[in-house]
Amino acid sequence: MSDAHSTAVPLSRWPLVRGEKTAAQITRDVCEPLERGPGKLWFLTIAIAATILLGGAIAITDEIWTGIGTWGLNKTVGWAFDITNFVFWIGIGHAGTLISAILHLFRQKWRNSINRAAEAMTLFAVMCAGLWPLIHMGRPWFFYWIAPYPNNLGPFWVNFRSPLFWDFCAVNTYFTISLLFWYMGLLPDLGVAAQRAVPGLRKKILTTLSLGWDGAQRTWRHYELLYLLLAGLATPLVFSVHTVVSFDFATGIVPGWHSTVFPPYFVIGAIFSGFAMVLFLMIIARKVMHYEDYITIDHIEVMGKVTLFTGSVILLAYATEFFMAWYGGNLYERFAFINRVLGPYWACGWVMIACNCFVPQLLWFRSVRRNVVASFVIAILINVGMWLERFVIIMVSLHRDFLTSSWSHYTPTYIEWLTLLGDFGLFFTLFLLFCRFVPMIAISEVKAIVGKSPKAPSYDEVSSEAAHG
Amino acid sequence: MIDPQNNPEPESKENLAARLESEDRRDGITRRQFLQGLSASFAGLSVAACGKAEAPEKIIPYLDQPSMTAPGLSRYYATTCGGCQAACGALAKSREGRPIKMEGNPDHPVSQGGLCGRGQATIMDLYDSSRLKEPLLKGSPASWDRVDSEIRRQLDAISKKGGRIVVVTRTISSPSIHAAGKAFKKRYGAVRHVVYDPASASSILEAHEKTHGLRALPSYHFDKARVLAGFGADFLGAWLSPVEFSRDWAAARDPLKMRSRMSYFIQFESRMSPTGANADRRIRLKPSEEAATLAQLGRFLAKRLGWPDLPPRLGNTSVPVRELAALARKLAAARGESLVVSGSGSVGAQVLVNWINQRLGNYGKTLDLSKPSYQYAGDDRAMAELQEDLRAGKIDAVIFLDANPVYDAPKASGLRKTLEANRRPRLMISLADRLDETASLCGYALPLSHALESWGDARPQWGTASLLQPLLRPLYNSRSIIETLLAWGGSTASAYDFVRGVWKAEIFPTQKSFPGTNFDAFWNKAVERGVVSFQEPVAAPKGLGFNAAAFSAVHPAPGVTGSFEMDAFFSVPLFDGRQANNPWLQEMPDPVSKVAWGNTASFSPADAARLGLEEGRVVRLSSADGAVAELPAHIQPGQADGVVVAALGHGRKAAGPIAFNEPRRRLFPIEEDPILDADLYPLRGGAGISVQKTERSVVLAKIQTYDYQEDPILGYNRNIVRETTLDDYLKDPAAGNPEVESESGLWPKHKYPGRKWAMAIDLNSCTGCSACMVACRAENNIPVVGKAEVRKKRDLYWIRIDRYYSGSPQKQEENPRVTHEPMLCQQCDNAPCETVCPVAATSHSSEGLNMQVYNRCVGTRFCENNCPYKVRRFNWFNYEHNDLVQNLALNPDVTVRTRGVMEKCTFCVQRINSAEITAKTEGRELKDGEVASACQQSCPTQAIVFGDINDPQSRIAKLAKNPRAFRVLADLGTGPSVFYQTKVRNEAV
Repeated sequence: MSDAHSTAVPLSRWPLVRGEKTAAQITRDVCEPLERGPGKLWFLTIAIAATILLGGAIAITDEIWTGIGTWGLNKTVGWAFDITNFVFWIGIGHAGTLISAILHLFRQKWRNSINRAAEAMTLFAVMCAGLWPLIHMGRPWFFYWIAPYPNNLGPFWVNFRSPLFWDFCAVNTYFTISLLFWYMGLLPDLGVAAQRAVPGLRKKILTTLSLGWDGAQRTWRHYELLYLLLAGLATPLVFSVHTVVSFDFATGIVPGWHSTVFPPYFVIGAIFSGFAMVLFLMIIARKVMHYEDYITIDHIEVMGKVTLFTGSVILLAYATEFFMAWYGGNLYERFAFINRVLGPYWACGWVMIACNCFVPQLLWFRSVRRNVVASFVIAILINVGMWLERFVIIMVSLHRDFLTSSWSHYTPTYIEWLTLLGDFGLFFTLFLLFCRFVPMIAISEVKAIVGKSPKAPSYDEVSSEAAHG
Repeated sequence: MIDPQNNPEPESKENLAARLESEDRRDGITRRQFLQGLSASFAGLSVAACGKAEAPEKIIPYLDQPSMTAPGLSRYYATTCGGCQAACGALAKSREGRPIKMEGNPDHPVSQGGLCGRGQATIMDLYDSSRLKEPLLKGSPASWDRVDSEIRRQLDAISKKGGRIVVVTRTISSPSIHAAGKAFKKRYGAVRHVVYDPASASSILEAHEKTHGLRALPSYHFDKARVLAGFGADFLGAWLSPVEFSRDWAAARDPLKMRSRMSYFIQFESRMSPTGANADRRIRLKPSEEAATLAQLGRFLAKRLGWPDLPPRLGNTSVPVRELAALARKLAAARGESLVVSGSGSVGAQVLVNWINQRLGNYGKTLDLSKPSYQYAGDDRAMAELQEDLRAGKIDAVIFLDANPVYDAPKASGLRKTLEANRRPRLMISLADRLDETASLCGYALPLSHALESWGDARPQWGTASLLQPLLRPLYNSRSIIETLLAWGGSTASAYDFVRGVWKAEIFPTQKSFPGTNFDAFWNKAVERGVVSFQEPVAAPKGLGFNAAAFSAVHPAPGVTGSFEMDAFFSVPLFDGRQANNPWLQEMPDPVSKVAWGNTASFSPADAARLGLEEGRVVRLSSADGAVAELPAHIQPGQADGVVVAALGHGRKAAGPIAFNEPRRRLFPIEEDPILDADLYPLRGGAGISVQKTERSVVLAKIQTYDYQEDPILGYNRNIVRETTLDDYLKDPAAGNPEVESESGLWPKHKYPGRKWAMAIDLNSCTGCSACMVACRAENNIPVVGKAEVRKKRDLYWIRIDRYYSGSPQKQEENPRVTHEPMLCQQCDNAPCETVCPVAATSHSSEGLNMQVYNRCVGTRFCENNCPYKVRRFNWFNYEHNDLVQNLALNPDVTVRTRGVMEKCTFCVQRINSAEITAKTEGRELKDGEVASACQQSCPTQAIVFGDINDPQSRIAKLAKNPRAFRVLADLGTGPSVFYQTKVRNEAV
């Protein structure tokens, strides 16, 4: 790197907010879109998203009405799209909390302009994830039996040894804390929005939701402390949720599942896919909502760096898995791994490796990191790859396990495809509603950083200076 | 509310009533008021429901409970299986007055306790709602009285004029039917009785007429054969008396008892039959080369042993000389202890078989003509003559008694044309269980009672008489053959009295089963036991010689015109097609190809490669005489090149709507379910077949799609089945069965203070016949899922038979070794399914059972994924039972599962509990062997042993310690409770 780089401002190497914003301007920028009322583009996108959601709803209704047989599962493959999507969405949900809690604790101020949206993404992703375990049950109307609720059946408790029960607890905890954390962070902005709102129903709702936020110094002090505490509480959850999700497989006996590397491997994979998803959404949001000054090209670059790091860890994890499959000498496991790349589902295996291991390596190049289109494409490919990773781990391991007589195939039905799409429809519908009705950027947090580096040269300027000088 | 501990003093009745009343009043309404309101609303509902007229009959509940019908208790009645003419003994299980399951009768000398899948599935035939329900006169319902008087009048008229009356049946061994037939003949004069069998043994009978001067089917004793050579005889599958043969064959295959005398079995065959799959050595041979091979073998033997007579030369055979010479050496060393059998329809080939068996001194030892079998007496020539006479219009009346020749006779299409033509007989009567291909052409289509609805008997073999007793009144307005013949013969005797009379006259005088009893006692005991032995005159004098003149029947096989030879066979599930409308049998996979629901045309891998066929590609088979069938191709390793193999018994058009039980989908796509199971009868007979590839393809409904124990990428052998050779076994009983280290479990071990149930399965006895799969389905109310669902790998079998091909890669294609391994829930000590269920719906019993609690299951399917044996089955839908009548066969002891729950083998926990209750009420301990799982009960070879492994004296405890015992995937540390015994082959491999 150039010498000019090392002479950059120490607190932040690049301006966190561009366009010389004043505090009032920030409030205006964030709140005005909410007050203006939606535009045509928003209506168009939500119409598409809601239509897809409706398709999914019809598919789910048919599935619950008729039976799981509407899916392509069979006597050998008991899980495929259902748990793949569950793990995928849970993984997506990781980045939000990581960005808002862990980066908060590490004082990474750049996260202030994206944390609100990332947290919202987390919540919606966990909702999308939670749908699958619910509908994958043979008798979803008894879903509450998984909870250890007080009952008069003996009492009859859940099986505390089952990883599915651990999973239930972990995901619920995660969702609860994430929701609280997000809502808590939202309070000052809701207060601002309530203040700005013209008297009427919207103002009443906003005032109620802001829990009477008055912006007093004492309120701020309480708020800051609680936010810090919640950040501390949420931090271990980032690791625990996907660790527990990985137990669903790691404690299983299926070759390709039964592995001690799964907890760290799943966590890093989750952060990887989560960051890719945040990148994907931020690129859309900054364009659609005209937030280029808040979500700058520097944000995209720094997220690219995190993605590159996690992607490289994934590469290491894959290499470790294959090495252990060979070195461990377990014939079933050895076959399970070779079957991923040479078996009937070899295409899934290779696309997964290409998308997760090689595509992120392009981010070593600064020009790629700072290229919005390239970052966008890479983010999509990583999500495709990570979805396939879960599919490969779950389905491809299952379809050829121990007894060769039971080997089978799996092909998803249109019901499963519709449900998968519908889940994306749900996600985007929720996200679009969020963009419209909730301050999408944490106003108060951005205000806190806007003064810190107002005049600092941007990365571009530094490098162009370096180039000229 | 009333706690006896807190109310030590007894409360007076009035006090109690008053207190209850006051307690009731707490919610403002008394119990009395509530009940009044309730009854008023019920009355209202009932009145509203009384829209229809009252039923004409009065229904009256039991006032006095009939003796022996305790609700909730099963009763077993000895009877005879009506599935085919082998007439195995059966115990019909009855609950609340209706039969629900067929089991084998251990006292029966033919079946010796087992019962094949088809026999067990006859219960579905009984409750088949597409049965003929009332007599039809030219298509419209008529009363029996009217039909009888019409028929009697017409028959009288015909016989007065000297017209010809023909009765066509399949083989009937029943003494009572023959006696009733005599009465019938007496009234109508010269009645011609034509007997034919679709699965004809006519060539064997005819050959014996030529070679030994006696038209008879010998009884075979496979247990006494030390060297056994089969030529296309599928005696473990569907040939003659498969249950009996399987049991006998397995008896000679027990390496522990037989030691070095364990039988050696070589099979020459074109298709991979269930029998060939169990052979020590298997030689691929086209049907057309069979006679030549037999002749060559005979010449080797004659040379070695100096036999006086030689058959004519029949040309060359593709079997290597060393192969035949080695077999000749083995046979020569086992004279009187060897057996050669052939399933060939050629009289010449059977003459050669008789010659070899005669000269080897096997008659009277491994096969017996003086004590023959009566199971197959069909005469192909008589049937051909009848068809000729019918065509010529020489027949005035034809009566088909439980026979369907328009579908299953040779040249059936010609017969159909004849019976539709103007010169057809004036009177055509069919007594059939359904409006089948033949009955639908007859003016009189009369409903035949099921074997479980009628009195009757059978004489399957020399000196054995077996009784049929009804378990319920006929469901429909049907009659048995005996009743019908009696009615037409003018007798008014009931079937019961008549059968009893016949037994008094024919069986009782020489009976040996219950010495010193009078007839009434004898009869009661016979009915109770189901079978008796009696002294018949010996059919043939001793020393019946071989007549070398019979060699004149030996001709070279006719040349084959087409590019392929046809081998149309009788499959284990459908046999000759009489049970084609049986959902259990349609969903029962072929033991070798593992294809259920529908027929296939099998090709050898080499032929398939040559024709460019892949599995499921539809091919058109056409014979020289213009018969055509379209079937999906199946590639069968081990099949002879140049032969097309397809099963008979399929493609019936008038059998009924073959119950699919396929879940109906409301949304698109509507799943098309083409059953391409063309009727192969027209293509039978070994004539040349040409094969055309079509553009269409279908997916076969296969239960197992991967056939090898090696994976296809790395080629690691998973050693799922352990096997060894007899030589190695004799040196070391643990040969081929090395110890495996298993991982120790994470959880504390379960304790089994009392009993612990376990099972042993002998892979040397298991022939793969799949009777256990049907038995399990019957016992445990396992729904039939239909073709589309089987194709999606969603069959619900709790026990399945894994079939693996092994050998070198080249041999795996050409002529693999085959192993069958029944796979069911292994009831693991450390069950992987138990730990993962979030709602504890599957748990461990103190007796070692892995229990599934259906009403707790929420259906996460984690247990299914985590089961290394893949024996758990999920209810993907509510499997609708389209034929509601067949729901009468449901076992009330077993829950019918709803959709969304997991199910699996329970080791027949209901049978365990029932035996335990019986032992408890009788105040004794449970005896070893008293509990038999359904699969074990049905197993024709008794490969399965079940019992308490904690009892060191039990058979299972000994088998578990046997050096041959191994457990599948033992290295995983799951601790299975099923102990397999290694397969021991009598041949170096």
